[in-house]
Amino acid sequence: MNHYAYFVSVGVMLLGVAGIATSRNLVHTVVCLSVAQSGTYVLLIAVGFQYGGVAPIFGGQVGSRTPVVDPVVQALTLTDIVVSAAVTSMLLALVIQIAKRHRAIDPDRLGRLEG
Amino acid sequence: MNEGILSNVLIAVSLTLVLAGAAAVVFTRHPSKQAVVLSYYGLLLTILFVVLQAPDVALSQVAIGTAVVPLIVVLSIRKVSAIRADHHLEEGEEGT
Repeated sequence: MNHYAYFVSVGVMLLGVAGIATSRNLVHTVVCLSVAQSGTYVLLIAVGFQYGGVAPIFGGQVGSRTPVVDPVVQALTLTDIVVSAAVTSMLLALVIQIAKRHRAIDPDRLGRLEG
Repeated sequence: MNEGILSNVLIAVSLTLVLAGAAAVVFTRHPSKQAVVLSYYGLLLTILFVVLQAPDVALSQVAIGTAVVPLIVVLSIRKVSAIRADHHLEEGEEGT
């Protein structure tokens, strides 16, 4: 089961990278980057979900048959989601600046970068 | 033991849905349609997180991945098309 989760996370990330490579529109490129980053959410959550692993810190009131997961990777995933939103909004602001300056958002029509 | 098999099937189904959703987002070429598909993809990730016992992550994913990120994508598409329409207007005036 866990191997399938890792396979899915790698597949999501490769799909995002393939979308970035074949993109014809910079907004589409930014959305594909956020899809590639969402592969890391699946990876982190799947790392924390293990059968028969050592229990994280809980008191005696939690029964031995209650399913528990590792909260550390969940906190990491929470941080990852917020960082992804920040990165997406900053890159979209850059796309708007490129559209203002070059009048085109097709990567092939941008020409060489101007310093 | 029966519950374990059921949750395994649930996890497998939601993982497959996430993979299919990522493919749908990447291969939707038009950006404004892609924003809607991205919103559905955020919902699929939320379901996966709930199934994998991470309700706090699911809460932030449903707020950010399903609402905020598609909203800013749509806003930037609107801004870019307004800039391009302005430019075409200027070009037309120069041409005549």
